[in-house]
Amino acid sequence: MSAPGITEPTEAIARARAGDTQAWGELFHDYAPAIFRFCRRALPTREDAEDATMEIFMKLKGKLGQYDESRSFSAWLYKVAANHCWDTLRRRKIRQDKETDDVESVPLEHPDSNQLEKLIEQRSSEEVRRALKKLGTRARMALVMRYYSDMSYDEIADALGVRRAFVGVVLLRARHELRKALEGNTALAAGGAF
Amino acid sequence: MTDIVHKHGESNGQHLDEMTCLLYIDRQLDRTRGLEVSAHTQECGDCRTLLRALERESRLLTRAMLEEDEPLPSRLAAFQEVAKRSLQWIWGLAFGLAATGFYALYTGYVEPWQQRFEQAGFGGNNLLGLLIFQGAFWKGWQSMITLLEIVALLTLAGLGAAYFRRRLRRGSALALVLAGFCALMALPSAVMASEFRKGDSIDVAKDEIVKGDLFVSGARARIDGTVDGDVYAFCQNLTVNGHITGDIIAFAQFVRIDGQVDGNIRTFTNSVAIRGSVAKNATSFAESVTVDSTGKIGGSLTTFVNMLALDGNLARDLLIFSHRANISGTVGGSVQARGDELTIGSTAQIVGQTRFEGRNPPSIAAGAKLGSPVEFKKLEHKPFYTEGTYFVWQLIWAAAFVLFGLVLFVLMPKFSQEAVNSAEHYGASMGLGVLVFFAVPIAAVIACVTVVGLFIGISAFFVWYASLYYAQIVVGALVGKWLMGRTSETWPLIGRMVVGVLIVRACTAIPMVGGWIKFAVILWGLGAVSLALYRRFQPMIAPNVPAPPLTSPPLPPNTTVGSPQPA
Repeated sequence: MSAPGITEPTEAIARARAGDTQAWGELFHDYAPAIFRFCRRALPTREDAEDATMEIFMKLKGKLGQYDESRSFSAWLYKVAANHCWDTLRRRKIRQDKETDDVESVPLEHPDSNQLEKLIEQRSSEEVRRALKKLGTRARMALVMRYYSDMSYDEIADALGVRRAFVGVVLLRARHELRKALEGNTALAAGGAF
Repeated sequence: MTDIVHKHGESNGQHLDEMTCLLYIDRQLDRTRGLEVSAHTQECGDCRTLLRALERESRLLTRAMLEEDEPLPSRLAAFQEVAKRSLQWIWGLAFGLAATGFYALYTGYVEPWQQRFEQAGFGGNNLLGLLIFQGAFWKGWQSMITLLEIVALLTLAGLGAAYFRRRLRRGSALALVLAGFCALMALPSAVMASEFRKGDSIDVAKDEIVKGDLFVSGARARIDGTVDGDVYAFCQNLTVNGHITGDIIAFAQFVRIDGQVDGNIRTFTNSVAIRGSVAKNATSFAESVTVDSTGKIGGSLTTFVNMLALDGNLARDLLIFSHRANISGTVGGSVQARGDELTIGSTAQIVGQTRFEGRNPPSIAAGAKLGSPVEFKKLEHKPFYTEGTYFVWQLIWAAAFVLFGLVLFVLMPKFSQEAVNSAEHYGASMGLGVLVFFAVPIAAVIACVTVVGLFIGISAFFVWYASLYYAQIVVGALVGKWLMGRTSETWPLIGRMVVGVLIVRACTAIPMVGGWIKFAVILWGLGAVSLALYRRFQPMIAPNVPAPPLTSPPLPPNTTVGSPQPA
């Protein structure tokens, strides 16, 4: 999951594990912006994201011993962040009613490909971010995990506490919600067989 | 997963469903199924179009999420993690200092003043009164010096430890300021036009002239000569036999003025005896104040004392808050007194009006010369909440708080938001609140009498005092947020503040426990406000600062239609 060309901060991690505060500073400096952005996409407000970022790094101090160096550090960090954000949202119990629906009831027919193409053409990144905020927490969380931090279906299933087989359904449903939010058009989101 | 795919995906003569296409581009299909889908999309233009649309949608999502649309918040700026851990010892230090400060305040000030004000006719039933005006007898200001030394030592030790452990970073500016301030207190030597004298016994000899202000600190100070400036005294005994052209500000156990003071005297002492002359006004917070028959005060006299004896000459008004007051001298203006007992002796002469509010009627000797009959109002003490007006006043106060909060939230919406959010960090807020509650007034008093300056001291005190009210509004807003949900908008937050403040005020109006609740709310809110201020001092990363190495997570795999991957 680590981006090509980016070396793993092996030395800093080793020093941080040994209690070197300078190394903690380095890790924080290098990874905090990405984690903050992750939290900003996943959580409702900027303040929530700030708090969560701080808490994740505080939590990291205790968890660093569990980090397996054979894996990507950023992937592991995102997993910690995802778990934290999801726990935060779950504790707050602000999930919307629709999220309690049976995930299998989601319509899985074709959308109109041309209309979908047109929608994607016309929408800017900023509009997508705004629409993202309108989604239910699980839908948003799933999209952020998949498309921001590139987490695998297994990792998403683990974080969200759903069966792996349903991750695709959760993601697809999230996309439908997003289209609906972008377009305000139920026809496209519901999809129409062709 | 396979179940779903086979349930919905049809590739023989029918189109692929969207789920199958999504799993395909996410490389979640097994190899066989992937090849089937690949083969189908080679022939079916519609499914190929859908597949590409989904891929583009994935890229759009990734791009939208990865874009850096806002800078890193100031509180998360570089090395904040280290600073945060630095804060942990700051909280420890805060609690340590607060405990010391609390002990010193309690034994030195809280106990004596509570008794004094009760004797003066003020009830100490609410918590603030209990805290500020409770206790035994005045123990002198030397404990203040001891406290300062402890503060300085602890802070400097903490900073030294932090330095050697390489943990201290920019975030500890607050501690640096405190340490600097304490260091300033510990070494008050390099001030222009001022002279500092320390020691067990300090003397200004009869023929000696001190040019400029004189600061004395020690067990005993005696001024027989001349001071051409102000005198600031921190000592057990201060005796002035000489001539002082400026003011006297004394924090001492005993103050005796036998000489001549051309300015004012302000004393915070156990007892004051004036046998000489004071050209201007005198203000005294003391156990006893005596103006002998030879004593003269050219201005007015304001006293907050247990016992006042005025046998000398006062040119202007007399304001008394005391347990017992005895007037046998001359008062050129009017007398306003509040306390238990007022005695006007036969030699007394009061030119203006005399008003007395007390528990007992004034005792007026036959020969006393009064400008007008004494107006007496009897004070009756009963539990404050048994009075009907108490709850009416609580309502009025609640409305005033709401109005005050409204103004503040409109004037400073962002800071108010930050303060409310800071209040959610309960431990940090309470810890800092305890420190600020006790440390700021002490620092303000010290600033008033040292090189830092009177203006800074008074300003700090007023800001602190206003913050006591702001603190309650901040906590009210947080309570409102708990009840009505979070918000980042100003007006919805104001709505929550209104609801929360009314609830907080209702809680603080509860008899017996309301005072404690109010005290806790003040500490909590004060800490939150301080925390928000502290975070304001953190460095801000500008939007155009180059991103750190891993600001952009890796992009999703670049799946193509014709290259299925095993799951």
